Amino acid sequence: MFTKIITKTSQAVSSMSRRLRRQSIEAPLWERVGFFLTLGLVGFVSVFPFYWMGVTSFVDEAWLYQRTPQLVPAVSDLSLTNYQTLFGAETVPFVQYFLNSLFIGTVSAALGLAFAIFGAYSFARLEYPGRWIFSRGVLVNYMFAGILLVIPIFQILVTLGLVNNRLGIIVTHFIFVIPLGLYLLGNYFRSIPKEIEEAGLMDGYSRIEVIARITIPMSKPAIVATYMYAFLLSWNEYLYASVILRDQGLYTLPIGIEQLQYAFENVWGDVMAASVVTTIPVLIIFLYLQKYLVEGLSFGNMD
Amino acid sequence: MSTSFRDWIAGRSVFDRDMTIKQKEMLLGYVLILPSVLLVGASLVYPVAYNIYLSFTEIPVDPTQSPEWVGLANYQALVSDPEFWEAVQNTLIFTFFSDVGATALGLGVALLFRNKFRGDGIMRGLVLLPYIAPLIAIAFTWRWLLQPTYGIVPHLLQDVLELYPSGTNIRETLGMVILFDTWRYFPFAFLLILARVRSIPNELYEAAKIDGAGRVARFKDITLPELKFVLAAVFLLRWIWNFNVFSDVWLFVGNNVPILGTFVYVRGFNTIPPNQGYAAAVANLMVIGLFVMVIGYVKYFLDW
Repeated sequence: MFTKIITKTSQAVSSMSRRLRRQSIEAPLWERVGFFLTLGLVGFVSVFPFYWMGVTSFVDEAWLYQRTPQLVPAVSDLSLTNYQTLFGAETVPFVQYFLNSLFIGTVSAALGLAFAIFGAYSFARLEYPGRWIFSRGVLVNYMFAGILLVIPIFQILVTLGLVNNRLGIIVTHFIFVIPLGLYLLGNYFRSIPKEIEEAGLMDGYSRIEVIARITIPMSKPAIVATYMYAFLLSWNEYLYASVILRDQGLYTLPIGIEQLQYAFENVWGDVMAASVVTTIPVLIIFLYLQKYLVEGLSFGNMD
Repeated sequence: MSTSFRDWIAGRSVFDRDMTIKQKEMLLGYVLILPSVLLVGASLVYPVAYNIYLSFTEIPVDPTQSPEWVGLANYQALVSDPEFWEAVQNTLIFTFFSDVGATALGLGVALLFRNKFRGDGIMRGLVLLPYIAPLIAIAFTWRWLLQPTYGIVPHLLQDVLELYPSGTNIRETLGMVILFDTWRYFPFAFLLILARVRSIPNELYEAAKIDGAGRVARFKDITLPELKFVLAAVFLLRWIWNFNVFSDVWLFVGNNVPILGTFVYVRGFNTIPPNQGYAAAVANLMVIGLFVMVIGYVKYFLDW
């Protein structure tokens, strides 16, 4: 009872002093107004292109190509024509592109992770000479962006007969995903307390059993997050998809949308609708990924 | 002597008796990383070496024919190719200015987010949008925003504000490409810098204020030194990616603003007939140039 009163009082005192301190550092009015204006500007600059993407996708041609463009469409200008064209399958096999991207991303991310989980565990936990090469090597990978290796890799794929072939793009994407997986999962595995695994070893588990029964189950959220990043790498990848895939039926979204843009004059409504459909899954994934934002995004893009 | 598959999977081998735990761990370490190393090696080390070879050859379009050795011919041709030098120049200008732009803007926005405010989580999400959205979507959105005849931005700048004469295309310019890249990647700088900014103790600023330090002095003497390392790292990473950029520029302006990345692509895949040996030579020079720049930066500038 007595201790309760003391804690209550001390809590009240500390919250009061906190409030006081905040008041003492409270900025003058003009400064706060300036702060929110700048913030508003930053927000506007970041979001406006997305607003315009959305608006363009939901209006008809007449509104888009009028003499004096307008910023906000009237309700009567809204239409679903662009989405109907896109999913109508008469002009472009957009649904096919979407499914291709989905399939290639799902499979390459899974394959990449299957390798990366064990590799990451190896250099995060096990001790052996030369281990540092692998943990540093992940970073050297940063330097070799796709464009630097596109000629030799293309030539190799030609030799293997993997050009214009789904397997070719899956192999490429899944290998590209491995360094990302090694990097993210390696960092995560290192953060798991060693003692938990040691307890497992004491109980007679072998290392492999420790990995399968302790480490992997404990890392589920991180593995899911890494999987999603890996998926996004593949989903967004343009360069290799553009040189490997030739038949329209094999196109992934980036190639398909590019084709749509070049094949017809002024189809901006359709192109923006396609962009919206491509962006939405990514945004949904990022809502889930919030917790892993800094680590994942700092790894950077594929090309 | 017999080891069942199940034992093998569980890591219990016939060698168990003869090996110490430490040795077993080492062996397992190699076994687990081997597949990744082989695959990444196959996609990194081998192509790098193969690319060097290819750059000394002429690669026939017909895949059944093998590359023909031409010695230094590709490199000799490069030296006197004005398009190559134009791409080099554009790349360096692009790399420098979009790096500075993204880092500076990221720093500014991170400082704006230093103190938490109501709704800062949502604002942070919005600011990250340019970076997390698929490239294809935003590259084409920018194309459309800047479309010379119907684009909303040219309309505003030209018809309403009359900033430049009509008939000018502001989209296919190096400046616009730099702006696009700055816009797309400032959230990356923002995100990395923000984590450091928020870890600077508030007391430092309070004390400086009491001592009468002004806004500029506080920025120069507290913020910058505290952020030195993260700024240097962000600048380096952005430098590497900007230098190697391809898709961003290609999807936004195509070959209208030639840079090294698009030069490799166009010569290797988009010219008839393609000249992949030549493109390989350019890629090699890019690798060498990048290594020299990165090592120079780390050694002399960062003084590591």
